[in-house]
Amino acid sequence: MLEAIIEILLKTAVILALPLGALPIIIHVERRGAAFIQKRLGPNRVGPLGLLQPLADVAKFMFKEEVHPSHVRPFFYTAAPVVALVVAILPLACIPIFAPIEIFGRSVYPEVFKSDMGIFFAFAASALGSYGILLAGWASNNKYSMLGAIRACAQMVSYELSLSTSLVAMIFLYGSNDIHVMVAEQTGYWFGFLPKWGFFLQPVAAMLFLIGIFAESNRLPFDLAEGESEIVAGYHIEYSSMKFALFFMAEYIHMIALSALFIIMFFGGYSLLPGMELIADRIPASLAILQALSLIIKVASMIWFFVWVRWSFPRFRYDQLMNLGWERLLPIGIANLIVTVLFVYFRNH
Amino acid sequence: MAADILLTFITVVFALMVVFSKRTVVAAFSLLMTLLSIAMIYFQLGTVFLSAVQVLINAGAIAILFVFVMMLINLENFTNNREKNKTKLIIATFTVLVILGVLALVINNNIETLSLVNLADNSMKALFEKLFTTYYLPFEMATVLLLAAIVACVVIASHGKKAEEKQ
Amino acid sequence: MEFASFAVFFIIACTLSAVLLGISSLLGQKRKAIREMDIYESGVNPVGSATRQYDIKFFLTAILFLLFDVEIVFLLPWAMAYNGAPDQTFMMWGFVFFMAILLVGYIFVINSKALKWEE
Repeated sequence: MLEAIIEILLKTAVILALPLGALPIIIHVERRGAAFIQKRLGPNRVGPLGLLQPLADVAKFMFKEEVHPSHVRPFFYTAAPVVALVVAILPLACIPIFAPIEIFGRSVYPEVFKSDMGIFFAFAASALGSYGILLAGWASNNKYSMLGAIRACAQMVSYELSLSTSLVAMIFLYGSNDIHVMVAEQTGYWFGFLPKWGFFLQPVAAMLFLIGIFAESNRLPFDLAEGESEIVAGYHIEYSSMKFALFFMAEYIHMIALSALFIIMFFGGYSLLPGMELIADRIPASLAILQALSLIIKVASMIWFFVWVRWSFPRFRYDQLMNLGWERLLPIGIANLIVTVLFVYFRNH
Repeated sequence: MAADILLTFITVVFALMVVFSKRTVVAAFSLLMTLLSIAMIYFQLGTVFLSAVQVLINAGAIAILFVFVMMLINLENFTNNREKNKTKLIIATFTVLVILGVLALVINNNIETLSLVNLADNSMKALFEKLFTTYYLPFEMATVLLLAAIVACVVIASHGKKAEEKQ
Repeated sequence: MEFASFAVFFIIACTLSAVLLGISSLLGQKRKAIREMDIYESGVNPVGSATRQYDIKFFLTAILFLLFDVEIVFLLPWAMAYNGAPDQTFMMWGFVFFMAILLVGYIFVINSKALKWEE
């Protein structure tokens, strides 16, 4: 009983601490990365290489004045950022960072929430992501906010469909929705050097999923809802200080959770990066740490990819965005699914 | 046991808020919370996949629809034009008592109202296999129902547009 | 047991957000300026009320998302059951007919231009 409680608390602490601790690093990488791509210097005054800049930002957010505009709906105005942050953190609960191990005789699963639904929990939690935005837009009682919120919600909802078609294709190939099974299917190599990642099995589904997660997290090139030059700041116009910081955090954590899902389905999850097996063979006890390290490195590369794309592409117009989702990506996803099923069937019969 | 009682209580509270709150958006969000609590009840009962589907579909699509509608038509409060009618009150109370009586009878005597699916292996995989082989017809009927809903949706929406263009 | 871990996680996440908001409201300055209380509209005075007519396409998008999402959710158990199924031919044909009906609906939606956003 006591061990169960300690296990739950420890797992929660680690799974929460990793993304929240990585958050200042990601913000810093985004700003310096943006500067690097735009051929300028980013923040480099506060601390060596500007590394203390996020800390300064956090302090600024804490000490800034809490504005209480008179025209907002009070309860929902304060509830919206909390909802957004909690719903963004939820998918992290089902993501394991290493394979189940034995500690003191009991097998420990590294994810906080282990259940039969496996990866569906993350998708179900992402489906709730629109509510924070809707609440924020509506509670602000502001035309721009409402419009931005409705557009963001319609966009997120449209791209969830192509995301789900990719998910069905991958579950079909892996045969199970359990994340450990998915990762186990992706360990090993073809021809001795090509890792058995889902990306090579299903490149079309991987591209669809990639585009889908950009749209889900409202990142460029899909960030019309919060585009700075379009409708000012969209659904978080009326927010300042810590509430805005919570939206900001929610967006980055959503990005981390979706990257982790993408890595699990298409890049082997916590399976070891090529080359790490040498170390794992010599020191068997370090397998869990190496697996966690692999996952972290893969997710970090994915986050850098997010930053890279953000500063390389212009924004989509709203009608282009919606037509892309419904008229191009969805039929590609369905066609990919049909071709995969028929191919697997005729290969086995 | 405590979790069951707590979840049931939460569900009923939110359901009552849906029915009795005067502000539309509060009602819509209480509907969302009701659906989420029901998903947690499903999880407690062991039907884990159903719980995930409940959140995905009910809370993640249907409740969004309700919230969209409340926000798009910008209705602040439900108009309260109920007239108090004694006959209606009596009939309503009678109906509720009849329903409660039927429920009590069924629960106390363990009457099976639906034919049970007999599965040798009670796992999720066996259930799904059964669904797509033996019970394939209801599955296809559901698909056709969805097709009908899609067509109806599009027709109703474009009917309004054609009426506008004619003017 | 799993539920307990999820509940703990959820409560800690909510507490974290509440604590962050609480810190800010404690530490922030408090002033009662008048100008900041108005609706922000690019620096000009707000025009019209916050209510306006929205395009019906938003609503259509949400409904059609619901319908197609239900279709895809039907496929999830199918995908999980396919690999261990004894009669895979039947499963495959079932999938083909399911997709045929879904595609009829989808082609109807695209042809009717109900979701076609014009610039």
